[in-house]
Amino acid sequence: MSYLYALYKTYNNNLDKVGVIETKNTGKKTIEYTLLPISHTTQTAHIEVTVTPDGEFYDARVIKENTILPFTEESGSRAGTNYVPHVLHDKLMFVAGDYVKYTGQEDKASCFEDYIQQLKDWCESEYSHPDIVAIYNYVKKGTLIEDLVQKNILYLDEQRKLLKKWDSNRGKEKPEIFSAVTGDQESAFVRFDVHYPNQVHDHVWNNKEIYDLYSRYYDTKLRDKDLCYVSGEYLPAVERHPNKLRNSADKAKLISANDTSGFTFRGRFLNSREVTNISYEVSQKAHNALKWLIDKQGKTVDGRVFLAWGLRSPNIPQATEDVLEDLNSYLPNLFEIESSNNLSGTREALARKYNQLLSGINKNFTVDENDEVYVMTLDAATPGRLAVLYFRNLHINVYFERLKEWHIGCSWKHRRKVDGEWKEFYGSPSFQTIAKYAYGPRPSDKLIKTVMERLLPCVIDGRAIPLDIVQNAIQRASNPVAFNEEWEWEQALSVACSLVKKHYEKEEYSMALDKTNTDRDYLFGRLLAVADVLERNALSEADQKRATNAVRYMNAFVRAPLRTWHTIHQNLHPYLMRLGSNARRYTDLFQEISDLFNPNDYNNKPLTGKYLLGYYSQRQDLYTKKEKEGVDEE
Amino acid sequence: MRNQIEFEVYGNYALFTDPLMKLGGEKLTYQIPTYQALKGIVESIYWKPSIIWYIDEIRVMNPIRMESKGIRPLDYGGGNTLANYTYLRDVRYQVRAHFEFNYNRKDLEGDFNEHKHHNIAKRCVKAGGRRDVYLGTRECQAYVVPCDFNEGKGHYDDIEEIHFGTMIHGINYPDETGKKVMEVRLWQPVMRHGIIKFIRPEECSLIRPIREYQTKKFLLHENMQPVETLYNDLFGGE
Repeated sequence: MSYLYALYKTYNNNLDKVGVIETKNTGKKTIEYTLLPISHTTQTAHIEVTVTPDGEFYDARVIKENTILPFTEESGSRAGTNYVPHVLHDKLMFVAGDYVKYTGQEDKASCFEDYIQQLKDWCESEYSHPDIVAIYNYVKKGTLIEDLVQKNILYLDEQRKLLKKWDSNRGKEKPEIFSAVTGDQESAFVRFDVHYPNQVHDHVWNNKEIYDLYSRYYDTKLRDKDLCYVSGEYLPAVERHPNKLRNSADKAKLISANDTSGFTFRGRFLNSREVTNISYEVSQKAHNALKWLIDKQGKTVDGRVFLAWGLRSPNIPQATEDVLEDLNSYLPNLFEIESSNNLSGTREALARKYNQLLSGINKNFTVDENDEVYVMTLDAATPGRLAVLYFRNLHINVYFERLKEWHIGCSWKHRRKVDGEWKEFYGSPSFQTIAKYAYGPRPSDKLIKTVMERLLPCVIDGRAIPLDIVQNAIQRASNPVAFNEEWEWEQALSVACSLVKKHYEKEEYSMALDKTNTDRDYLFGRLLAVADVLERNALSEADQKRATNAVRYMNAFVRAPLRTWHTIHQNLHPYLMRLGSNARRYTDLFQEISDLFNPNDYNNKPLTGKYLLGYYSQRQDLYTKKEKEGVDEE
Repeated sequence: MRNQIEFEVYGNYALFTDPLMKLGGEKLTYQIPTYQALKGIVESIYWKPSIIWYIDEIRVMNPIRMESKGIRPLDYGGGNTLANYTYLRDVRYQVRAHFEFNYNRKDLEGDFNEHKHHNIAKRCVKAGGRRDVYLGTRECQAYVVPCDFNEGKGHYDDIEEIHFGTMIHGINYPDETGKKVMEVRLWQPVMRHGIIKFIRPEECSLIRPIREYQTKKFLLHENMQPVETLYNDLFGGE
C-alpha cells in the first residue's frame, strides 16, 4: 500500500481524534498537538475577540495560543505580497476594516474586502452557523482596531496610527501585546469567539460542528473531479498541498510541482496535471495524519523523521528506540536487574521478558489480526521538498517479532539514570545511543541520522549491523583512557557489548560468564578482566584511585594481546604482593583461564570484539562473587 | 500459453517511480514493478512494432526493501540540485509474458510470423536481452536469465495476500489501442503467495486520458527489419 493511502486510512480510523487537542511531555515542556480537521490548519493567535450573538463587541484579551482555523487551498500557501485571506480568523490586516486608517498602508485595502466577501459567502451558504454570522456581523462594521484600542489591547502613537515600538517613557509596564507578537502590533493574529451569557458553549475554534460545516462548505468550492491516483476514485482534485509537516516552520512539501525546467516529469508529460492527480480529501487527510503522527511519536534528528505507526492503533513501539525508554511505565519491574538472579541475562529469560512486555503493549490497544504497521523515514535534501527515504509495511505480528529478535539479540546490561538515580537494566541501546558511542564523543546530528537510517533495516529486515558501526564501537570501547568520565566509558563498553553480541549472534553469547568457552578472544578478555579487578582491589585497599594498568594498556592489548599481556602481568607483581593471601583466587583464575587456551591461539593476532564480552562477563562474575563471599563471611 | 516466455530478472537496485513523488523530483519507488515497467523489460529483450507483449504474472522472490541515496540530478537549465531518491534494494522477479500480433498495424501484416517471433524471443531471453535491461529507470541495471516460473523459494510464498493500493498499471499508446489519445491506466494489485497476476490493459477500469497522440510510422524494409531477415540473421537458416 502506498504511504499516502496508509496515512489516509489512518486518518479515517482515527476520526474520533479529529480536533481533539492532545498533549505530550518531552521532559522539559508540554507539547500540544491535534489531528486537524479537513480544510483546517493551525496558527498562533495573539488576540482573542469575543462578540455577542447580535454582532456587538463584547471583550478582548491578549493570548498566545495555538488555534485551529479554516483555510483555503490558496490561503494555505500564501507568501510574500500575495495577500489571500483565511476564512475566519486571520491577521489584523485582513480582519480589521479600519486597518488602513490606523496604519496608512493603502496597498492592503483590498485585504479586508476579500476577507469580508469570502466570509459573507460562507454565511450566506447553507453551511452557515449562528456563531459565524455573529462574527461576520461584527467584523463587517470595520471597527476592530478602534475597539481594541479602547480596550487597551492595541496602542496608538501621536498621529493616531498603530504604535511601532513601546519605549520606556510611555510607562514602565510594557503592554502584553508587545511581547505576544514577534513583529509590530499590526502583525497580530486575531481569533474570534461568541459570548453567550450564562451558557457553557464550545469555542468557535474548537467546535466540531463548525469544522464540519466549513469542510462541507469548502467542498462546494472545489474544482472538477478527476481520477485520484491514491484512492482510485473520481474526486475533486487539488494542486497545492500542505506544508508545515515536521514543524510549524517547515516549508518542505511531500508533493510539489513547481519544476518546469529540471525535467523531473516533462518529456512524456507536458505539465504536472498530466503526470498525476490526487484528490483534495486524500491529500488533506493524509497530510494531517502525517503531521499528527510526527507530533505524537515521530523521532526527529536533524530534520530527519523516523516514524512507525499502526493502521488502527497508532501507538506502536518505535524501532529506533530502546523499548524500555519508549514505554517507561514497564521499566521498573520488568527489566531492572535483580542482584540475586544470575540467569536474567540468558536468552530464554530475555525472550520471556520481551514477550511479557510486548503482550503488555498489546493489551494497551486491541490488535486486529490483520493489522499492519508502517515504518517510514522522511527528510528534506533542500528546504522546499520532503522525500520519503524509507517506507515499509509489515504485518503487526511480524513487526513485533522483529522488534523482539532485535532487542533480544542486542540486550546487554546498561546503566541508566531514572529519576536521578543510577539503575541497571537489561535491554538494547536505542539507535541514537549506538550512534553516539560508535562515533562519539560528540557526533554531529548529520552523522547520527545516517547511522539511524542504516540501523533501521537491521531491525525491520533482520539484516546484520553494518560492520563499520560495530568496529567503531569496539574501537572506542577499547580505548578507555580517551574518556573523561568513567561512566561514559562504561556505557560505551555496554553498547559495544550489545553490538558484538548481536554480531556474533550465532555463537549465542550471554551476559553470564561462560567458563567452557575456549575462544581465544574471549579468554584474553577474561584475563584482562582478572588483571583489572585484581589491581583495582589492591588500589582500593590502599585507598588509591587511578586507572589500572589493564585499562591503560587496553588499546595496545587489542592489537597485540600476547606481548601486552606480558607487560600487564609483570606490572601486577607489586599488587599481588600487597594482596597477600587474597591473591590466591586471582592466580588460580589466571591458571584456569590459561589452561583453556588452545596452545596455537596463544599469540599476538589482534583481538576481535568478542574479547569485550569475555572481559565484561568475567569482571561481572568477579564482582558478584565477591559480594556473595562478603555476605558469607558475615 | 502460446507464445509465452518465462524469465527471471534481477538487479541491485530498482526504481519504479511513484508518479506522485516524481513531480517534485524526490523520487520514491513503488513497492512492486508496474505492468509498464515489466513490458519495457520484455521489449528490451525482444520487440518489433508488429507484436504487443502482455505480462501475465510476476513472482516477487526477494523481500521488498528500500534504500535511499542522495542524488545530484543534472538540471537541464544548468547546474544541479540535490535530491533523495529511494530505490528498491536487491530485487529478483520471475516473469511470465506472451506476445500477440498488433492488429492495429495492418501495414505490418507481412511480419506476422508467430513461430519465428517466438523462437527469436526465447533465444533473446537466453542471451539476456537484445538491448540493455533496466528496472524502472536507466541507472538500475538489470539482468535477465531464463527460468521456470515457480521454481525456487520466494520470500512471500507463505503470505496469503498483500494489497498495494492504487498503482499505475501502464500507459495506453495509440499504436496499441488504435485510439489517437494517450491514456494512463490505474489498478489495484493484490499479491497472493508472492504472485501478482496482471489484468490485461483493456480490462483496466481506471483510465485517465492525458492528451492527443500520434502513431509512429513503421515501414518494412525501411525503418524496420522483417522477422524473416532477423530469423535468418540469428539462426542462419537452420
